[in-house]
Amino acid sequence: MDCHQCHQNNGSCGSKRSLRWLPFGENFNRLPIEPSGPQIALVGMPNVGKSVLFHALTGTYVTVSNYPGTTVEVTRGAMTLDDRAVSVIDTPGMYSLLPISEEERVARDLLMSEPFGAIVHVLDAKNLGRMLALTVQLLEAELPVIVAVNMMDEAQRWGLTIDREALIEKLGVPVVLMAAARNWGVDQLRETLADRLASTPAPVLAAVG
Amino acid sequence: MSLTIQYLEPIEVAIAQIETWWRSGWGQDFADRHLSSRSFALLLLQKDPNLWEQLPGDRQQDLEQLIATTQAQLNRPISLEIAQARQGFAQAIEQNTLAEPNPSQRRWGERIHKLTVNPISGFPILVLVLYWGVYKFVGEFGAGELVDRIETFFEGQINPVVNHVTEQVIPWPALQDLFAHDYGIITLGIRYATAIVLPVVATYFLMFSLLEDSGYLPRLSLMLDRLFKAIGLSGRAVIPIVLGLGCDTMATIVTRTLETKRERLIATFLLSLAIPCAAQWGVILGLLAQRPAALVTWAGLIVGIFLLAGFLIDKFLPGSAAQFYIELPPLRLPKIRNVITKTWVRMKWYFWEVLPLFIWASAIIWVGRLTGIFDWLISGIEPIALGLGLPKETAPILLYGFFRRDYGAAGLFDLQQGGQLTGDQLLISAVVLTLFLPCIAQLQMIIKERGVKTALLMVSFIFPFALAVGYVLNWGLNLFHIAL
Repeated sequence: MDCHQCHQNNGSCGSKRSLRWLPFGENFNRLPIEPSGPQIALVGMPNVGKSVLFHALTGTYVTVSNYPGTTVEVTRGAMTLDDRAVSVIDTPGMYSLLPISEEERVARDLLMSEPFGAIVHVLDAKNLGRMLALTVQLLEAELPVIVAVNMMDEAQRWGLTIDREALIEKLGVPVVLMAAARNWGVDQLRETLADRLASTPAPVLAAVG
Repeated sequence: MSLTIQYLEPIEVAIAQIETWWRSGWGQDFADRHLSSRSFALLLLQKDPNLWEQLPGDRQQDLEQLIATTQAQLNRPISLEIAQARQGFAQAIEQNTLAEPNPSQRRWGERIHKLTVNPISGFPILVLVLYWGVYKFVGEFGAGELVDRIETFFEGQINPVVNHVTEQVIPWPALQDLFAHDYGIITLGIRYATAIVLPVVATYFLMFSLLEDSGYLPRLSLMLDRLFKAIGLSGRAVIPIVLGLGCDTMATIVTRTLETKRERLIATFLLSLAIPCAAQWGVILGLLAQRPAALVTWAGLIVGIFLLAGFLIDKFLPGSAAQFYIELPPLRLPKIRNVITKTWVRMKWYFWEVLPLFIWASAIIWVGRLTGIFDWLISGIEPIALGLGLPKETAPILLYGFFRRDYGAAGLFDLQQGGQLTGDQLLISAVVLTLFLPCIAQLQMIIKERGVKTALLMVSFIFPFALAVGYVLNWGLNLFHIAL
C-alpha cells in the first residue's frame, strides 16, 4: 500500500515537497528520466526484497512491505559507482519471463525493450530452488545477470547454508550473498556491479543476426 | 552465456526451427528487443500473447503448425514441459549448493502459520486483531483520545486567536469568513485535516504497517480464499481489498496484480462501493464508538452489501472465477524502524494530499456561500437529507461527501461532537458516506485503470445506490421503532 506517488517517480522530488494546490489534480504519471549513464535493473519474484535493496543502493525510499505485489510500477533511482552515475530501476515482481498478470508484464517488457549494463536477479535464500527457475530464464535470454541471494540472515536463522562458489560455477555468473535489510553484502554487490559495468562499455543496442 | 538447459528432444527441435526462421528474417521485427533468439523461441512456443500479436499472419500459421507437431510428440502441454525442465534444473542446483543441517528451526513459524490460516483459529485471531488493533487502538485511542485533545486545543487556543486576528487585520466580514469563523480555511479546513483526520490516519497506518510487516495479511488472504470465491474473486484479491482499508486509491492501482480483467473489474467496483479507507474507518469508528449497537449494525450492513454485491456481479458478469495463487512470505517480527518509516511516509503523503484539498474545499464553500450557489445546492440536497431521516444540517456534509468521503465524515464528526445527531442518524449517515466513492483521486484512478465508460457506469450506480440504502435503512429503523 504505497500511496506516495512521489516516490514512484524518479526520486528527485523526495526532499523538496510542495503542496499541490490544484484541487483535484492528482497526477500518477511517471516522468521518465533520460538514461545517460549505464542502467541496471533489479528483478526477481515478488517479496524477495527488491525494494529494500533499491533503497540501500539509491537512498530512494519506496514503501516496503512483507507482502507480495507491493510494487506495481517501475521506480527509477540513481547511484554512483566509481564516479559514474548509474540509474537503477526497481521492477514489480515476476515469476517468469512469460507474464501472467499485468504487473509481471511491466517487468518483462522493460527487460526486453531497454538496454541494461547489468540485471540484478534478487532471490530469497530460503527458497533458492524455486527462484533459480527465473535465473535460468534470464540466462537463457543472455541478459547480463548478477545473482543476489538475499535474506541470508533469515536463511541463517533457519540453519541454511549456501555454497557461493558452487553457485557461481553452476550458473556461470557473479553471485553475491546478502541481507539488504541489514545492509549485509550491499557493498560487495556494488563492487560486483562496478566490475560488470567496467567490463562492458556503455550498453549498445544488441545486433540481432 | 555458458549455461544452457536441455529440453526434451521435440522441444529442442522446435527451438532450432524457430531460430532458423529467426535468422532468416523474423528477428528483424524484434531487433530492438534485448532477448536472445533462444529465449524468443521458447516464448513463442508458449504462445506469449504479446509477441504473438506482433507476428504477421503467415508466420503465426507456420508457428501454429510447428507447435501442433511438437505437442503431438509430448505427453504434457509444452509450457508444462518447459517449466518442469527449468524447475528440475533449478532444484538440482539448489541441492548442490544449499545445505540444511537443522530443519527443526522452521517449526515455530510453521505452527503460528497454521493457526492463522485455519478458519477455526483464524477467525478468532482476526476478531482479536480487529478488536485490539482497529477498535481499541484506532477507534478509541486515535479517533477518541487524540482527536479530543487536538480538537479541544484547536477550538480553545487556535480558533479564537485566528478569529480575533482576522477581525483585526481584515475589515470586510465577507473576506474574514474565508480564513476564520465557521467555514474558514484555518478554522475549518486545517482543523479538519490536523485535528480529526491526522490522528486517525496516523494510528491506523501504524497498526496497518505492523500487520503488513508481520506477514499476517497474506495468510488472511489464504484463509478468506473460500469466502472470496463466492464473490468471484480469488484469495489473491484479498490483497487489494485489504489495502483498500488503508487507501482505496492505491488499492485500485494494486488490482493490477489480479490475473483476469473480470477479477480486476469486480475488485475495483467493490473497493469503490464497500471498502472504507483509513480516514473513513477512523472517523466512522470515532462517530459510532460510543454506540456499539450502531457500530455493529454499520459493520454488518457494509459486510453484507460487500458480499451481496460481489455475489451478484459474479453471477451476472460473464467469465469464470480466477484461480488462487499467492506467495506466502515468512512470518516476521516487524522491524520497528521500518514500521515507523513506513507510517511516517504514508502519513506525510496523506497529509499533504489532504491538506490542500481541505483548504480548497473551504475556499470553494466560501465562494459558494458568497454567491449563493452553495445555498441553492444545499436546498436541493436538503430534501434528500430529510428523506434519509437526517437533520438538514447534514445536507452540506452530504455535499462534501460527494467530493471526499473523509471530508464529509469529518464534518459529521463535528456535528456529533456538538450532540446534534441521534444514534439512528449517525448510523444512516455513516452508511451512506461509506458507500459513496471515497474521493476524486480514486475516481481518477478508476478512469485510468478501467476506462471512462466503466468508471461512469460505476459512479452512476454507486451514488443512487448509497442514497437508496440510506433511505431503506431509515424506513426500516422507523418501521420497527429501533433507536440505536
